[in-house]
Amino acid sequence: MSKLTRDPMLEMFIFETAQLLEQLEQIIINSEKSKSYSTQNINEIFRIMHTIKGSSAMMLYDDISILAHSMEDLFYFVREKKPLAMDFSELTDLILDGADFIKTELSKIEGDGKADGKSNELIENIKKFLSTLKEKNSLEDEVCITKEKLLPIKEQKYYIGSGALSGTPTKKILKATIYFEEGCQMENVRAFSIIHNFKGIADDISYYPSDIIENDETEEVIRKDGFCIYLKTEYSADTIREILMQTVFLRHLELEEVDEVDEAIQRQKSKEIVLEGPLPSTVEEKMAEKVQTIEAQTHSLNQNIISVNVSRLDKLMDLVGEMVIAEAMVVQNPDLKELELDNFDKAARQLNKITGEIQDIVMAIRMVPLSGTFHKMNRIVRDMSKKLNKEVELTIIGEKIEVDKNIIEHISDPLMHLMRNTLDHGIETTEKRLAKGKTSIGTIILEAKNVGSDVMIIIKDDGKGLDKEKILKKAKENGLLYKAEGDMTDKEIYNLIFLPGFSTKDSVTEYSGRGVGMDVVTRNIETIGGTVSVDSFLDKGTIVTLKIPLTLAIIDGMNIKVGKSCYTIPTVSIKESFRPLERDIIVEPNGNEMIMVRGQCYPILRLHELYGVNTEITGFMDGIFVMVEQDEKSLCIFADELLGQQQVVVKLLPNYITNFKKINGLAGCTLLGDGSISLILDIAGLVNI
Amino acid sequence: MKSVLIVDDAAFMRMAIKKILEKNGYEIAGEAENGEEGVRKYNELRPDIVTLDITMPEMDGLTALKAIKTIDKNAKVIIVSAMGQEAFVRDAIMRGAQSFIVKPFTEEHVLKVLNSI
Repeated sequence: MSKLTRDPMLEMFIFETAQLLEQLEQIIINSEKSKSYSTQNINEIFRIMHTIKGSSAMMLYDDISILAHSMEDLFYFVREKKPLAMDFSELTDLILDGADFIKTELSKIEGDGKADGKSNELIENIKKFLSTLKEKNSLEDEVCITKEKLLPIKEQKYYIGSGALSGTPTKKILKATIYFEEGCQMENVRAFSIIHNFKGIADDISYYPSDIIENDETEEVIRKDGFCIYLKTEYSADTIREILMQTVFLRHLELEEVDEVDEAIQRQKSKEIVLEGPLPSTVEEKMAEKVQTIEAQTHSLNQNIISVNVSRLDKLMDLVGEMVIAEAMVVQNPDLKELELDNFDKAARQLNKITGEIQDIVMAIRMVPLSGTFHKMNRIVRDMSKKLNKEVELTIIGEKIEVDKNIIEHISDPLMHLMRNTLDHGIETTEKRLAKGKTSIGTIILEAKNVGSDVMIIIKDDGKGLDKEKILKKAKENGLLYKAEGDMTDKEIYNLIFLPGFSTKDSVTEYSGRGVGMDVVTRNIETIGGTVSVDSFLDKGTIVTLKIPLTLAIIDGMNIKVGKSCYTIPTVSIKESFRPLERDIIVEPNGNEMIMVRGQCYPILRLHELYGVNTEITGFMDGIFVMVEQDEKSLCIFADELLGQQQVVVKLLPNYITNFKKINGLAGCTLLGDGSISLILDIAGLVNI
Repeated sequence: MKSVLIVDDAAFMRMAIKKILEKNGYEIAGEAENGEEGVRKYNELRPDIVTLDITMPEMDGLTALKAIKTIDKNAKVIIVSAMGQEAFVRDAIMRGAQSFIVKPFTEEHVLKVLNSI
């Protein structure tokens, strides 16, 4: 089944369960940090497990359901008994293992496979933990149990010996035996419900089995032998029959008038339930107040949220892209050139405004906060620091910043990889840290911030920093040095680690290695038009910075012309455009061309030379310069003329071109209003040429 | 056509109940994801029937039941419970819940209970 046609119930199940698991993980990790589970958190975990249990049982995923049930039981115990002697770390491991199991099963289900994992072992472990917990906390346990048992007994009135039933002859005694339908469940509660409904109708009621309230196993008895009631009432047998017939899930009813209550039942010490007694409520008094406040809030805001399949959003995004192009094709149609069209222009402006708004909304729909991805790192830090025996604290800043969903998908893996690396190689063991005079606990800061149309994600640690010599040596061995060693700045040396085929660790560890180097990070980030850089200070720490665009799909661009070709420069990179003065041009003896602008010297890039385009405009005085900046490096691009600013839809260069040839400095292509193709310049690529 | 307010913190459960009811001629008056919202919506929408989950954040089902009964003592409330919550269901019945559904439920099960109201 494709994603689009999948059963909406299944889809909802997967979506909601995954969300609950994420919540669960977060709560657990936070609780572990504070070394205690707050009542609120325990309630929350209990509730999450309860919900997963219910939903998965409905979907017939029994292994998940039973596992969730056992975790629910465990947290029920923790909630009710508040055990003092509890191994938090073991509890956390158990629950995380359980959550992992459910997650794995979910992804199997999502891949339209079968959830075939067996949770028996996990359930066993949880049960074992629960029983040790009960043993260890046996003292409190006992007290609680006796309390619980005592309460209902006080409320029970024993029917036996009162003689009320047989003593008053004016009223009939009716015996009703009720059989419920198979599979209706909770028969004892249903029986209780019947008894409860006779309040005010019958004066005396006794019934068998008599312990339906305190003993839930009576449901088996009722299932087999039916539920037997003796009523003393003024009402006719027919009226009583009518009332009883309304019972939900009633399979069979036997009703007869009798003279005496069965001996057997008397011997069973039937009890009468206290119909008029106080409700076993705990919150009664508070309620009245609360209801009032709620009534007052009746008109408070209602948040309505629907969930939508991502593939539909993608499609919508594509269509909006096409619409932007189509709009440009209409408004800038060559047929309209040099015509006076006042009314058309007015309508076109209106169209332009609306397409702009639609585009903004569609983009906004696709924006997702980074928090989900960031919080996954908590888990990695937890698991790894435990295994590597390092103490590490992760601080997350700016998790609320939103980026396009597509981009989130691309940064999750690189972030995990970087995080593992930092934990494995960056942060030292506690002993080493103390020896260096550092705090015993290492810190990693994961921070996101908005910078223009980009988001910077910074991973900063206070570990040992990168080893310059080692990097240089390795780079030399692998022939990765692109410059003379002496010419390289520290930063350039550090950034060698992102080159393909670079890895300083001789042996690959379980975590950071995995047979791939940091170049995977670079590759992933570059596919979404981002950049990676690293800086490091010996024994102070390392800072890795990812710069990623907010969105991929539509950018503001400046179209420029070179010969017959058209190029688009992302507007965010443009600092200015100008016509030069003859005297500002500097030509070095080796032919390098530079231009002076306000006392600063900038390199010149002739686009027509770079891409081999024929143009008549080669003299600097005839064309125009566009100064662009990226990563604090600037460059003046020389072109024939500016065509104008426009929003363009970024399309990747088609495979049949990229497979054939890797072209430097191009980020993609786009369609212009007149239907011609424009190549989008990759400024980051150009300044580094 | 009877209108139903579905109160459950699990979107999945709401969807399951909603599908069954819509298919069988009930009108969904609204949905709420916790007791507090449920009580508020009851007051606002006055549906014929409420299906009420027990375990919910903010305000649990029993408390919500009490509140709904305070607003309207004739409110028809059906408790949606899971196995192991017998005690809660009994409490709910004492507090005036009409009937109950046990999770996991079938379409038939839900309809029987709803139709009996």
